[in-house]
Amino acid sequence: MKQHSVLNRLKAGIVALILMLSPLATAANSPIIAAASSVKFALQEIAEAFYHDTGNRIRISYSSSGNLTRQIQQGAPFELLLSANAGYTEQLYQQNKTLGQSITYALGRLVLITEKNTSLTLDKQLSAIKILTETGNLKRFAIANPLHAPYGVAAQEVLQQLGLWESIKPHLVVGENVAQAAQFASSGAAQVGLVSYSIALAPALQNRTRTLLIPASLHRPLQQTMVLLHNAGETSKLFFIYLQQHKARAILARYGYSVPEE
Amino acid sequence: MSDKPNPDLAIHISLQQQRPIPLDVQLDCQPSELLALVGPSGSGKTTILRAIAGLYQPENGRIICQNEVWQNSVQQFFLPAHRRHVGLVFQNYALFPHMTVLNNIQQALSEIPKQHRHSHALDLLKKVHLEGLDHRYPKTLSGGQQQRVAVARALARNPKVLLLDEPFSAVDQVTRRKLYRELLALRKKLAMPMIIVTHDLEESTLLADRIALLHKGQILQIGTPKSVSAHPVTATVARLMDQQNIFTAQVLDHDLTAKKTRIHWLDRILEASFQPQFKINEKVCWTIQSANVLLHRRDRPSNGDKENPLHGKVIEYMESSGLVNMLVQIDKELNTTIAISVPLHVSKRNGLGLNEIIGISLLSEGIHLMPYQALRR
Amino acid sequence: MDWQALGLSVKLSLVTLFFLLPIGIFFGRWLAYRQFLGKSILQTLLALPLVLPPTVLGYYLLVIFSPNQGLGLWLNKTFGTTFVFNFEGLVIASIIFNLPFAIQPMQRAFSSIPRDIREAAACCGMSPAHVLWKIELPLAWPGIISAMVMCFAHTLGEFGIVLIVGGNIPAETQTIAISIYDRMQAFDNQSASIMSLSLLLFSMLTISFTYWLSERSQKKHV
Repeated sequence: MKQHSVLNRLKAGIVALILMLSPLATAANSPIIAAASSVKFALQEIAEAFYHDTGNRIRISYSSSGNLTRQIQQGAPFELLLSANAGYTEQLYQQNKTLGQSITYALGRLVLITEKNTSLTLDKQLSAIKILTETGNLKRFAIANPLHAPYGVAAQEVLQQLGLWESIKPHLVVGENVAQAAQFASSGAAQVGLVSYSIALAPALQNRTRTLLIPASLHRPLQQTMVLLHNAGETSKLFFIYLQQHKARAILARYGYSVPEE
Repeated sequence: MSDKPNPDLAIHISLQQQRPIPLDVQLDCQPSELLALVGPSGSGKTTILRAIAGLYQPENGRIICQNEVWQNSVQQFFLPAHRRHVGLVFQNYALFPHMTVLNNIQQALSEIPKQHRHSHALDLLKKVHLEGLDHRYPKTLSGGQQQRVAVARALARNPKVLLLDEPFSAVDQVTRRKLYRELLALRKKLAMPMIIVTHDLEESTLLADRIALLHKGQILQIGTPKSVSAHPVTATVARLMDQQNIFTAQVLDHDLTAKKTRIHWLDRILEASFQPQFKINEKVCWTIQSANVLLHRRDRPSNGDKENPLHGKVIEYMESSGLVNMLVQIDKELNTTIAISVPLHVSKRNGLGLNEIIGISLLSEGIHLMPYQALRR
Repeated sequence: MDWQALGLSVKLSLVTLFFLLPIGIFFGRWLAYRQFLGKSILQTLLALPLVLPPTVLGYYLLVIFSPNQGLGLWLNKTFGTTFVFNFEGLVIASIIFNLPFAIQPMQRAFSSIPRDIREAAACCGMSPAHVLWKIELPLAWPGIISAMVMCFAHTLGEFGIVLIVGGNIPAETQTIAISIYDRMQAFDNQSASIMSLSLLLFSMLTISFTYWLSERSQKKHV
């Protein structure tokens, strides 16, 4: 009967499609690493180099450090965490979710960032921005969310140090992680933002933005730490070591990180 | 077919419930008998039909058809519809819209070996005069054709009882008359009991061997259409049977020699047939069918004119299909009227019309007494 | 175009459909035909995902299936499985989130079948299973197909709940909607716009198909 065969064909089609797509799941056996959004561009390059040098593939999940930490606490299957501060990795260590203690693999910096062809003057005291707030011309200022992104915390510290926090606060547009904050600023959705130096150095942003490095004295050190988690496998452990070696450090340096002496 | 119906093939029904509508009925239907369940909407007729079919389970019930127990609530036994052999013709026919006519019928032929189903279905179509329509879809058929398919499908089930739920209500008058004739012809060939639900009195009188008059879930009277019409047991029955002439009176006396009962009505004394079950001075209701009300013909006076003579003014005069229906006002103050109908030619020859004063006679055989009850005006 | 993410999304949609088809038919039919105590409560619960913010549902799913306590802990201990931050967790979230999209159209489809047609089928001697197979499903299938197509499209576009319950794990929980989000944050606007446009076109196709199907089925049997 007409309707019967349509139904039957549909069912057969669905089963076939599912079977066809199953290989997708099995191909994804490579370990998953959690990394703060700030280190995204640097880490992509390092992962490529790692594959080139060892033949091992890894998968990386990017989000704010705080968000990743929460996910790990809730059972996410990450094997290694690269956090944008020392606090989160320490927290996980205290909760016995790690293999050993964390290590600091780099120091991060903040930059002011705005679209290339705006007339906004970028200076280390943010005085041009201060004038904007006083004349009521500041529309939106982008930072990462201080609640769970270390670069957001640092941005807040900078603004507080400069006495601008209260006046800028009503104009804040908060990114869920520092990459999103950078996306707001670079697309013009926000006039200006405070984001990580490493993201500002991303190739995609080079021709679209102007940046200014913010003095490290204005905020607490952005210690980029990493720690192996309790279910870490061989590949992750290898990568953990690789990140501390010369090639990886060179890449990190190119993205504005200061790396500890070898 | 044997002349005497086999009582084992009858259906016996007994249903009682309080909710959702009150029901308290007992009926039987004999094989080859067509029983009509008649009554106003809400009286429970369709509920009873659905209970017989097994589509509805009343609180208390006992249904036995052809010696097969279909429901026995005392033993908590209930056979669902698909296990009973019922043929049910639905009010809106309920044909399967995605199947051809032939296929519709074949759905009820599951008990026949596959290879015979096709020809069997074609036979049934022939029985209902629908040859050639086997490949059509229900929506392309007229109402009358759909009804016939529904009947064929019901019969395909080889049912132990045939049930019809207002099967003619969805078609026009002309088609309806045609379908009546077909049903009457068909039932001569059928050996099972048949129960039809209708609110149309004329239809039930035409088609049924017996009618059961239902009112608020109870059977007020069962009998042949004629007897229920002529001898309703209560004024309520008379009203439900669409009697227009219902009045109250008082019994005067019973004349044993003349075999008449006399009643006092308005200011007159009427002679009715002998009905001694009513006591002297008892208040009663009485009714007379308009067929038993005779016109005093101006052109041809007769002796019958002397029987319960009355005269009054014609206050309503309506012609319809060769008949004239009139209301004759007997008493102006109380606005008591009697309904009478005469053939059109008689009315013309006697010069009848509105406001004419005419004489009428009430045949005493037609004056039927009933227990007293307050009449609605 | 992130083919891996697209493939993952399609797979998630199909697996969701695989479970929702029988669930939808069962509940759609049950709600269409029966009155029972608590029916309105059940209907409310089943309709909840329509108005519930994805974050709320995601939050509760994380709490329920977190391997640190309760059900999640027991599952982990007994079967070694978890339903957070993996594809299986997404399937569960997706099934719950799509319940009203599956059940409501199917419920409408079943209830639009006149009751007397089902009863006539019973009087023809058809058992309830037969009536379902030969009468109800053929008459309800446009609504069923509609429901499935809507669920497929809806799953394809799921974002918030996938992000919360699944995280953003490539080849595991990074569906195409999340991939778009990801690309935006990598300043890869070209990829983001290609994928967005594709999803937009697909959504339009889905809706048109659903409307066409319902119009066609209305004309067919009247």
